[in-house]
Amino acid sequence: MKRRYTIIIFTENNFGLLNRITIIFSRRRTNIESLTVSETERKGISRFTIVIDYDENKIQKLIQQIRKIIGVLFVFHNEDDQVFYGQIAYYKVATQNFTAREEVMAIAHRHQAKVAFSTDDYVIIEKTGKKEDVITMLHLLEPHGILEFVKSGRIALVKDQYRFSQYAKNIGPEGWYSDEEFHELKDPERSAGVSY
Amino acid sequence: MALITEKATKKLYDHPLHHDHEAENILTKETDQVVSGSEAVILSLIEEGVDTIFGYPGGAIMPIYDALFHYREQLNHVLVRHEQGATHAAEGYAQMAKKPGVCFATSGPGATNLVTGIADAMLDSVPIVCITGQVAEPYLGTDAFQETDVMSLAMPITKWCYQIANPDEIPYIIAKAFYIARSGRPGPVLIDITKDAQFKEMSVPFTYEKRKQIKGYKPASAPREKDIAKAAELLNSAQRPFLFAGHGVLLSEAQAELKTFVEKTGVPVAGTLLGLSAFPSEHPLYVGMLGMHGNYGPNVLTNQADVIVAVGMRFDDRVTGNLERYAKQAKVIHIDIDHAEISKNVPATVGIIADAKAALNELIPQVQERTHDAWLAEFAKCHEEEYQKVIQHDFTAEAERIKMGEVVRMLSEKTNGEGVIVADVGQHQMSAARYSTFNKTDSWLTSGGLGTMGYALPSALGAKMGAPDRDIYAIIGDGCFQMTIQELGTIAQTGQPVKIIVMNNNYLGMVRQWQELFFDNRYSFVELTNPDFITIAKGFGIDGHCCTHADDLSASLDQLINSEKSYLLEVTVEKEANVFPMVPSGAGVDQIRLE
Repeated sequence: MKRRYTIIIFTENNFGLLNRITIIFSRRRTNIESLTVSETERKGISRFTIVIDYDENKIQKLIQQIRKIIGVLFVFHNEDDQVFYGQIAYYKVATQNFTAREEVMAIAHRHQAKVAFSTDDYVIIEKTGKKEDVITMLHLLEPHGILEFVKSGRIALVKDQYRFSQYAKNIGPEGWYSDEEFHELKDPERSAGVSY
Repeated sequence: MALITEKATKKLYDHPLHHDHEAENILTKETDQVVSGSEAVILSLIEEGVDTIFGYPGGAIMPIYDALFHYREQLNHVLVRHEQGATHAAEGYAQMAKKPGVCFATSGPGATNLVTGIADAMLDSVPIVCITGQVAEPYLGTDAFQETDVMSLAMPITKWCYQIANPDEIPYIIAKAFYIARSGRPGPVLIDITKDAQFKEMSVPFTYEKRKQIKGYKPASAPREKDIAKAAELLNSAQRPFLFAGHGVLLSEAQAELKTFVEKTGVPVAGTLLGLSAFPSEHPLYVGMLGMHGNYGPNVLTNQADVIVAVGMRFDDRVTGNLERYAKQAKVIHIDIDHAEISKNVPATVGIIADAKAALNELIPQVQERTHDAWLAEFAKCHEEEYQKVIQHDFTAEAERIKMGEVVRMLSEKTNGEGVIVADVGQHQMSAARYSTFNKTDSWLTSGGLGTMGYALPSALGAKMGAPDRDIYAIIGDGCFQMTIQELGTIAQTGQPVKIIVMNNNYLGMVRQWQELFFDNRYSFVELTNPDFITIAKGFGIDGHCCTHADDLSASLDQLINSEKSYLLEVTVEKEANVFPMVPSGAGVDQIRLE
């Protein structure tokens, strides 16, 4: 059965690594729902957040293929309830007159969005949240005339700090561990079950 | 000018090449501490211990070839006739010499011609390092003459690839490439170097340091204790254990450990196609080959074993057949250095992510000394059945034409099973795999995963150069031979003695067999009108003759074996013979057909 997974990957910031990672998906005819990449707070290390719908029996094999790529520091997958996630959206809304502008701003205020930019002809509303929140906002603003709309891919933080730190150890300043430790570092969850 | 550290200067000065007064061109470099990118490539290769390069020059790699000219005493360059030949030769070389093979090619068509061989090395885990020229950096992305995006082409078929546009990176990247190619699960690596980076001088003095680790990559080597304990426990209580020896045994050079382990535990051993010669085929515990055209016993009894120990193999679909019917009753102990192979196709009860040698060494003290005579007797029974129905018929000519099995068996007998067999792809490959005797390890090369027709001829040349003291016998079909026949020129030019047997049935035999069995005898474009191979070989300066009658086979093989130089023996074999046993596509291993 297909489930939604948020895959978090930490990599070195190298040419072509993005390409190598996307090949893993395209080779399996898997559509990427969203992909966000940017450098982390550490220089030279990138963080990928990839959302896909994938067969629950095959996800582990897919993750292992990504783990194999040279330059990938660690990778693991999460179901939606294991991560805190969201996305950001911008709405450029037409505001012909003062009343319209007031209404748009009121909607934004009610839904914890903010006015990020405004000119005489339009305002840009910035909204962060889950996909549903972003879409609801879109429907609410539609009557006023949406001139342009964009939303980002998902970004996510792992809820279980212990689990995250087990993986993140691998990019610690010490660099390397013994082979024994390394098996667990590459995939801490592997040590939990003998049969896998 | 960047900093010249004391260490760097000293190292450069101590470089053996700078004291070689024989090579006049090097003398001029003695006081010159700055080298060009192309010279840095050559110096790096020498530092890495490379002695042989297979390649083909062209526009974008000419600076490197110019640098190579000055070092032609240290580096032996083999001019192939097609870049695909260079990759296969490098594969053969790598497998016999136990170190990465090296290829040179130019940009554009040179690089695209490498693709087949690189993909072959990827699937068969062969360490090769390919260096391609590229158009100068300002021309990248402009559709310049002979520009292709080699990086994007190489990405899915290499273990790692990198484009260099700054000459200072060259020593570091080449060291990294060799480390990646040979460590962990070996594989092909490609380095693309822009022409301006080859021309430009390095801004720092040349220094080279072999890599022992790199960030973002750490291959497993030692197994975990708890996995070993669990595996030993399973094996010690097994009633019908069965061991599969794969290519990993050869790659980690664990043949002696495997023999000790097997002799202690009494477990019967079967080889995969690429694992052949890892275990002596005359050994009482050796039961044959796995896979679609493997032996009857190993296939059928896979589904009766209670514990399967898979060492350095990946449960390829040609081994498993239908996975739904594969070894469902067995507990699987899977030893592989590649984490991603564990439970990929067949769920492992115990996964040991380690080098085969290290894992077997850990296992040996923990397993009990046992014998499994009744279980072995079942293999013997299966072998008897296979012998009656298949093997004995493969050895005796019925009509005027010779059988492939007979050629292979007679060659093995005459060479005492000590020659290196390099097989191409198809029916002759399966005959060679089934009927060759291996008394010596590292005696079998073939294209397994990719099934690349045309592999054998260039690979045999590479194998000879990688192991000059071994006798190399390439067994090739008439279809395969014509895919890389031009490499006869390379063989002739190097003067290396490569013995070539072409099994000619005027058919693409394996495809024809499938058409006969599964497509109602519709022989769709599989018949070949062949040229006179002997005349062609003679044109290249290689002697040979054609054997058409079974009575002449023995004398013909003697002539081939005793030839001091390369020799081509063409054998006209039975036209429409089929390879059996066979696990039909989509069937389970227990549904193997003997006829």
